Amino acid sequence: MTATADLLVQIGDTGLEPGFKPIPAAITVGMLLLFLGVGYVFRVAEVDDLWVAGRGIGNIENGMAIGANWMSAASYLAVASLVALSGYFGLAYLVGWTTGYFVLLIFMAAQFRRFGKYTAPDFVGDRFYSDGARAVAAFTTLLIGFVYAVGQGRGMGLMSIYLFGTDYATGVILLMGITIGYVALSGMLGATKNMALQYVILIIAFLAGLYAVGWTQGYSTVLPYLEFGDEATRVANTIAAEFTAPFANASYYQWVALAFTLIVGTAGLPHVLVRFYTVENERTARWSCVWGLFFICLLYWGTAAYAAFGTLLGEQTPGLSYPFTGEQGDVMVVLTAQMANLPQWLVGLVAAGGVAAALATVAGLFIAGSSAAAHDLYTNIVNEDATQRQQLVVGRVTIVLLGILVTLTAINPPALIGELVSMAFAISGSVLFPMFFLGLWWENTTREGALAGMFTGLAFSTFGIVNEVLPTIAGINQGEPLVPAAAAVIPATSSALVAVPVVFLVTIAVSLVTEDPPTEVKRLVRQCHSPEPMQRMESAEDVVSGSGGGTPGDD
Amino acid sequence: MTDDTTDGPEPHGPDHETDGGTVAGREPANYLDTEINLFSPATPFMRDHLKVVWGTFVLWVLFVFGPVTATALAPELLTGTIVLGFQLHFLLTAIGAPLGALLLSVVYARQRDRLDEKYGISHSTGPADSEGTTAAADGGEVQ
Repeated sequence: MTATADLLVQIGDTGLEPGFKPIPAAITVGMLLLFLGVGYVFRVAEVDDLWVAGRGIGNIENGMAIGANWMSAASYLAVASLVALSGYFGLAYLVGWTTGYFVLLIFMAAQFRRFGKYTAPDFVGDRFYSDGARAVAAFTTLLIGFVYAVGQGRGMGLMSIYLFGTDYATGVILLMGITIGYVALSGMLGATKNMALQYVILIIAFLAGLYAVGWTQGYSTVLPYLEFGDEATRVANTIAAEFTAPFANASYYQWVALAFTLIVGTAGLPHVLVRFYTVENERTARWSCVWGLFFICLLYWGTAAYAAFGTLLGEQTPGLSYPFTGEQGDVMVVLTAQMANLPQWLVGLVAAGGVAAALATVAGLFIAGSSAAAHDLYTNIVNEDATQRQQLVVGRVTIVLLGILVTLTAINPPALIGELVSMAFAISGSVLFPMFFLGLWWENTTREGALAGMFTGLAFSTFGIVNEVLPTIAGINQGEPLVPAAAAVIPATSSALVAVPVVFLVTIAVSLVTEDPPTEVKRLVRQCHSPEPMQRMESAEDVVSGSGGGTPGDD
Repeated sequence: MTDDTTDGPEPHGPDHETDGGTVAGREPANYLDTEINLFSPATPFMRDHLKVVWGTFVLWVLFVFGPVTATALAPELLTGTIVLGFQLHFLLTAIGAPLGALLLSVVYARQRDRLDEKYGISHSTGPADSEGTTAAADGGEVQ
């Protein structure tokens, strides 16, 4: 017992080797410099380019950008973590964070492209003919970006422990600082080019580690996705039955509630939707969604394999064994590579991939947040005559403030990476998904209905989060939820299963008793579904008003 | 599944050629005058589209929530059956659900392309911004 404790002190809470490592550090720095270099080459100053990349990004490239934008530290590190820590319940994260793209594809992707504006709040504001609704959506976008990015900050801090030998807090500050500088300097054109590059780098890093572990340990050969069955079953039979036992860690209800929340959350995330604004036409929107899901699956199928391999290797590693701590879980992907005695540069590459994943997603979140602040809150509500220069300044100030707030919170995060990110999904699923879905598919949804629905969704999701997180942060109630009964039904990570039906009912009921939307708005909705092609720079509003397209900046 | 049905002429018939995009007197195509209803489509295109949407959606629900539900209903059977070394419930959930969603996405996108073909829609990707409505006036081919 004492020997184990000593060893734990020596290797640290995460189980990762401590100390600065020149080659892994150089790989990470080289990667970040490459991103900054690409961002510089494709830098932009025009406002249209900053947010939607001139609407000229094609199928596979956009699919990769969808992948990189999507695959944060939550995908790269946390899914394997949650499967290793929670077994079959962890698979709800794996399923929820992949299959949601199908819902996005069949109900929304092309329609959003046809709508053809800049941001998610733009859609809400125009569709519900209300600056109030636009403001609520913009606020929600910022809130989602904040909660989501806190999880990324935790991932960055943990990776920095291995790569740079810093302590956790220094790592968060260092890497968040780099991210803020990067996003503020380059716009989305740079970011989209970067995202395709980031996808390639992070999938190589992730799979190199997985293949090398499988190969050196004799677990798998050419297709680890389908070859880790024996290992998963061996974990269940010899180490921990709860690794695969269906409802050992959580009930059927909790599983379904979580998967549902992550699915609708996917379809409600502003930084995901904005990727469909950047494509040439709606056909490209559809196919890049398909490609995006494919690229995402390449990583996700490997997460459970990492969890099984890591758990087996943990049994052979002094100081580490099932059940793992939260820190060990959240670095499981890197830890597995280290436990398999892979060369340091390869373990470093895996860790650097985690940093790339976190950085790419935070970039997307901060851009969505900055356009929400500059475009939706500032230009549309505060200063209607804002110049492009003023918008850029407001956007950049927002990025810096958001970054500082995220850094401060991430230094002492209240939950695991995956749980933090799920809370952001609970917000987007409960607040924005119903607005997008009803807004696109039920033309009689009114302004009043939307406002009532969004406030209902915000109430549910923030209650779920405060109920569980406040006691942890404030150290009250022994860290237990304020209302335990409510936490069982609307968990912080999974509140959308209850919230979404309620929000739908509220929105529909209020819409039925309030005055119908104006005809132009209904025609806007119809235009989003019409099969007739539109010009590349045309938005649905241009078509409906008959004003032609070409200059979205002046509407 | 939709190829062999030949529904009548499409609403974008005659107005279509005049869709220069900047014409002030642009007459609304019928698409802009018919209600969007998720359950009761008003145009042949929407009817065909929603068939694809709902058809693939039902299968998606089976892929995503089927394994966990089956495991709750028949735990012995699903955890006791071994396929490729996996316990069946684990395989169907960890690999099967994402794979199902991916395959259904391909099915949807292809079916939707066929609808474009059927209704004579072309998303040409010509240079600059000059493509668009006029390019489709020949009722042309897809890509």
